[in-house]
Amino acid sequence: MTQQSRHIARRDPAQVMRLKRLGSLHQCRLSFMRILTRRMAREGWRFTRPLFDIDDAGVGRAIYSVHGPERSYSLVAFAHDLPPDQRSDRVIAEAWDATFTLFDGVPTEEDIERLSQNVPLQEAGRISESELSLSRANRSVRLWSHVVERLAAGRQPDLEQIESVGYLMRTTAVYGSGKFGAADRETIAARTELQAPFQAEMLSVYLTRIFVRDLVEHMARIKGGDRFVRLSPVIARQLGIGNSTGLGMAPFIINHPILFNNWIMVREEAIARVRAIQTATPKEVALFGTLLQRSAVSVDRWRSAHPIQLDKLARLRADVLALEAHIGAESLLHDYPWNRLLLWSETALSEEGQELVASLILEPYGDSVDGLASCMADSNTDATVIDGAMRVKEVRALIEDRFGWAFALDWSAPEHCARAWYVSEEKLEPRMGERFEEPIADYEQPLAPARDAVAAYKTLADFGEDQPISAFLMRHPEHRHTIRRAQMSRIAPYSEVQDNTISATVLPIDMLRAKLSFFGATHFDPRSDRWVRICMYAGAPYPEDLTPETADLWVYPEGTS
Amino acid sequence: MTLSLNEMEALAKRAARGGGYSWGLAEEAAKATRWLSARGLDGGLALAEVLEQEFANSLPDHTPGDLEGLWQSSAALCPLLAGVTLSDGADRLARGPIEMRHVVQPVLVLPFAANAARRLEGPVTVTSGAWTAITDGTELSAPDTSPNQAKTLQVEFGGTVSEPRARQTRASPAAQALLNRFAHRTYAPATEESRRLGAGAGLSDND
Repeated sequence: MTQQSRHIARRDPAQVMRLKRLGSLHQCRLSFMRILTRRMAREGWRFTRPLFDIDDAGVGRAIYSVHGPERSYSLVAFAHDLPPDQRSDRVIAEAWDATFTLFDGVPTEEDIERLSQNVPLQEAGRISESELSLSRANRSVRLWSHVVERLAAGRQPDLEQIESVGYLMRTTAVYGSGKFGAADRETIAARTELQAPFQAEMLSVYLTRIFVRDLVEHMARIKGGDRFVRLSPVIARQLGIGNSTGLGMAPFIINHPILFNNWIMVREEAIARVRAIQTATPKEVALFGTLLQRSAVSVDRWRSAHPIQLDKLARLRADVLALEAHIGAESLLHDYPWNRLLLWSETALSEEGQELVASLILEPYGDSVDGLASCMADSNTDATVIDGAMRVKEVRALIEDRFGWAFALDWSAPEHCARAWYVSEEKLEPRMGERFEEPIADYEQPLAPARDAVAAYKTLADFGEDQPISAFLMRHPEHRHTIRRAQMSRIAPYSEVQDNTISATVLPIDMLRAKLSFFGATHFDPRSDRWVRICMYAGAPYPEDLTPETADLWVYPEGTS
Repeated sequence: MTLSLNEMEALAKRAARGGGYSWGLAEEAAKATRWLSARGLDGGLALAEVLEQEFANSLPDHTPGDLEGLWQSSAALCPLLAGVTLSDGADRLARGPIEMRHVVQPVLVLPFAANAARRLEGPVTVTSGAWTAITDGTELSAPDTSPNQAKTLQVEFGGTVSEPRARQTRASPAAQALLNRFAHRTYAPATEESRRLGAGAGLSDND
């Protein structure tokens, strides 16, 4: 039983939308992977494997189909024999250990033949409206050979090695939404099961994980013959799918302001709802405590070699200890316990720890929180249409609200505009370079909304405050994208990153993490300031174990650290 | 082969930017191209025709000057500029018809007329000689072909969408090469430095 008896406002965008905090976000109940696994279990989706035709060298094709209440989807997988010197996570790679597409329905022989000519080529091929995603994965060389050798020899893999890597394959890109010829988002947006963001992509990764388990066992069986043993279900469950994400994803959160706002706002709304609960039941408090312990195991398994993340991890581990001590001493039953806990965390923990608390307090309250998942998509296409009748003073006020912090910066100082985002001729992928050292400024992408907002604000000062903004736009088309964003922020308070995205010290990995945390990723492992590896679905039940009881809290490991 | 609407929009945005339009106008060009493509009209080809004119070098000459009378300028009007002016000042349409002179690729004005229709909550009719298009903001009734240039273009509030065009989920690739040529101008030439640092990997992935 919960009571809500006072209103607690959502956290201020000025607090939430700083890059350092966005770069410290953790998965929560509203993460896209968990939305999907809950639905698949609740609706009793059926899983079949109509084809598994892989030869002794590990080359061939396989199909994994799911059948929901209304529709079926199939992962079409192609396994390749990749020479080690070609194994690269970079988007510029041209060959992979395995390539995939998520087919809308169940493919015919003809479909499979067509896909076999295109999917292995990835960006160089074309898929069609019948496909919802395009992706590829490479083996973790170390863990793959270890697991194959052990299983072939009739033994289970070494747990320490499993934990130190966490996955057998990592995807290096999962494309959806019309990329390379795939179906547009509009095609699927109205389907209940794909309405929440990135559900098709998350489904493709879930099915990829099943394929990878089958493939590693297949290779071990060939190698070991009679001695072969299957991978223990406990170990298999601990293995996720890795993902290696580069800079190309960072602009996404700037280029989709309404969508990103909806993710953040929904999570903030969930946090505010839970903070407004006056008393918690012993059962709710116990669940929180259990999941905190299980989070501690996950944090313990979280490896990174990057100095920034190492430092953050050390603080997060200390935060977890402080949190355990705090809740041991404080009753969480009465007097707005979750609000008190969150406020305490802001005084006692790092941002990693604060955001862990913010995510964890949602866990006992699925009934009040999970329904918000339907508000995370962006269906407001009119939000991009400029209201030309809005008066200059209103637009200026909107810019002040979102970018007031940026007015004091000297945007011509090299340290505040050291970087420029551009698209390279070579791979047509976003990159970030040094404005004052490389010839890139002429090619700059509009990914510095704060700088542009300040420039527009200054120019607006020359216009009468009661003039319509349309008059300004006729004279200054160069500010049109900024005026659009300012107007969008009216309905989307969390649409703008409130930090400098071109400063000498900007860390694109913060933007990557913000996005990936909403996918439900864990174990962020930056490889540089603009490149991160993560783990997806570690701990998730495979289809044979997927039930409403197992479908949700799998992200918290049950083992001990 | 066809393009997804998303691909068409992304290509149109890069092309318009490469054609010298500001990012904000390039976004408008991209949305407009997508809107037409989704209604079975080749917005990409119309946009390519506009970009060929290189209006962006002297945009004020192709932007309507005095909005109270005839919308015209010293040279032919750019449909993107005429379009955003129409959309931004949608209320003006409620007060009476707007007449424009010498509009290149007038079909590109339609998505902006649709914005106005949604704001005014009623259909908008666009006419040039025998060519008539009507949109209620979502649906469009218009012939398959449209004039390359409208000597006069009349836009007025009112009308009925009698035969809405069938919705399409794919875009024609006819203009792809042309648009790519403009889009290419937005790509920074690759340098060793950018290859090495730009995307920021730099560690072995063979592990």
